[in-house]
Amino acid sequence: MKLRKSLEKGAEGLLLFCALLSTLAVLFITIFLFHRGLPLFRKVPIAEFLFSTDWSPTAASPKYGILSFILGSFYVTALALAFAVPVGLAVGVYLAELAEKKASRAIRSAVEILAGIPSVVYGLFGIAIISAVTRTLFGGTGYSLLSASIVLAIMTLPTIINVTEVSLRAVPHELKEGSLALGATHWQTIYKVLVPTARSGIIAGVVLGMGRAIGETMAVLMVGGNAPIPPSGLTGKVRTLTMNIITDMSYAKDDHLTSLFATGIVLFVFILTLNLVVQLALKRTISSVEGGQGA
Amino acid sequence: MKRLCSAGIALAFSLVAASGAFAQLSGSFTFGGSTTVAPFVYAAIEQFQKDNTGVKISYEGTGSGAGLTSLAAGQYSLAGSSAELSADQLKTLVPTTVALDGLTPVVNKSVKLSNISKANLAAIFTGKITNWKELGGADSKIVVVNRDESSGTYKAFWEIVCQKDYGKAIAYTKDAIVAKENGEVAAKVASTPGSIGYVGMAFAEEVIKAGGRSLMVDGVKDTIANVVAKKWPISRSLYLVTKGAPVAGSVEKAFIDFILSAKGQAIVKSTDFIPLPKN
Repeated sequence: MKLRKSLEKGAEGLLLFCALLSTLAVLFITIFLFHRGLPLFRKVPIAEFLFSTDWSPTAASPKYGILSFILGSFYVTALALAFAVPVGLAVGVYLAELAEKKASRAIRSAVEILAGIPSVVYGLFGIAIISAVTRTLFGGTGYSLLSASIVLAIMTLPTIINVTEVSLRAVPHELKEGSLALGATHWQTIYKVLVPTARSGIIAGVVLGMGRAIGETMAVLMVGGNAPIPPSGLTGKVRTLTMNIITDMSYAKDDHLTSLFATGIVLFVFILTLNLVVQLALKRTISSVEGGQGA
Repeated sequence: MKRLCSAGIALAFSLVAASGAFAQLSGSFTFGGSTTVAPFVYAAIEQFQKDNTGVKISYEGTGSGAGLTSLAAGQYSLAGSSAELSADQLKTLVPTTVALDGLTPVVNKSVKLSNISKANLAAIFTGKITNWKELGGADSKIVVVNRDESSGTYKAFWEIVCQKDYGKAIAYTKDAIVAKENGEVAAKVASTPGSIGYVGMAFAEEVIKAGGRSLMVDGVKDTIANVVAKKWPISRSLYLVTKGAPVAGSVEKAFIDFILSAKGQAIVKSTDFIPLPKN
């Protein structure tokens, strides 16, 4: 009896330790990032860092302005989602509601494989196919905002598809049956009942996809063109925050290195804000759905 | 890879095994730096390890700038560099010239041009000339492919080509595709119409294989003979660098001596770089 109790205590302690470990990891990464990055603002005003597009870290009088990369990250992510969300939603709905068993199994395993492909392979595919196609269709060099967004859209698809499907399946059966019983067609049921009910789950999926898009480095590095200037348009070259860090990381020193950590801080704050905003939005939709049901 | 293989074959036939020459050396060593010197350093390490069975050397191709930083910080005991060392670096670091290299401007096959002047080359890479029309070519935009700032080639090209007209401070056009390696420049120039880039002479072949071409500069062709004769306008020295002078009896010194030996210079040659002139 005594032994069992102490074993249980031990197991509990171990679990607590693991839980603390992951929390500590987040904490330490945050502290480390800010500790290494913040000293930059003693030499470079924050406003100049955030709102200047002049990035010349190795010049005689170095300039650290990352606006181009903030814009780059923003454009690339927005455009990638604009491509991926409609397609991902459609595939998710199809898998959850319309596909026959055989077809849905085949599609699902294809999507799973898509999720498992390493990003460097997406990059190679982007160089070989996507940049060539966008060059032929839209002109420019092919190493562009557009190419990077398309590659990212393909990479974020699996997340959006999976989460959409799962949240559609999680909608209580009574709702669907009730809708059908009231005479709605299957299609009306999907877009009037199922999708709105699963909304919060779907939004969560989109946010996960957005996180992947903002954080992705290798694939965009290979097709983005990587010029340290703001994108001149869809076919213009783009460098994102992550690309900027990886391009200079291997050799940067002193203030230049610090500026890369500061770039990391901006990325970190970006993603944090994104998560918070979405969590707030989710809470609101959930409570409004619940309130609606109560009324 | 092909270069490494041919280096291996050349060695197998032409070199007498010298096992035991440095029998007292042993241990594991990490060198690193310039990606330009990597092909002959890899091949040389392979042979050097055969001659000194107790020695394990790895070489990390991280770029000249990164290599020199790591050397100064003590992470490497030897660094490869394709860039001239700054006065500041020369205070603690000692470079030894081990090979010569030429830089070759390469263009996509869509560019109908076979010769360019050094001044025009500088004008393109600083963004003063942006259309092939201005050089007598077709009316199409010039797509500049440049290296990242850590690259020794990036600095060397500025010093040799642009510095005279545009000053000491590097001021390449920023409207350029940035590639992280010689091989990436070759791949991007080969696949992007209207593009121009520069690579180590050994990499020009990659572009030519893919249908692109190398340019003559001021009417001179990029051949090894022209580099040795100092006629090729864009040539440079490649270095192995140590912190302080190489110490007699150390692996670093033995390795540098090995590359400077006839055997080592044969490896340099078989990997398409240019051996030091004998004298």
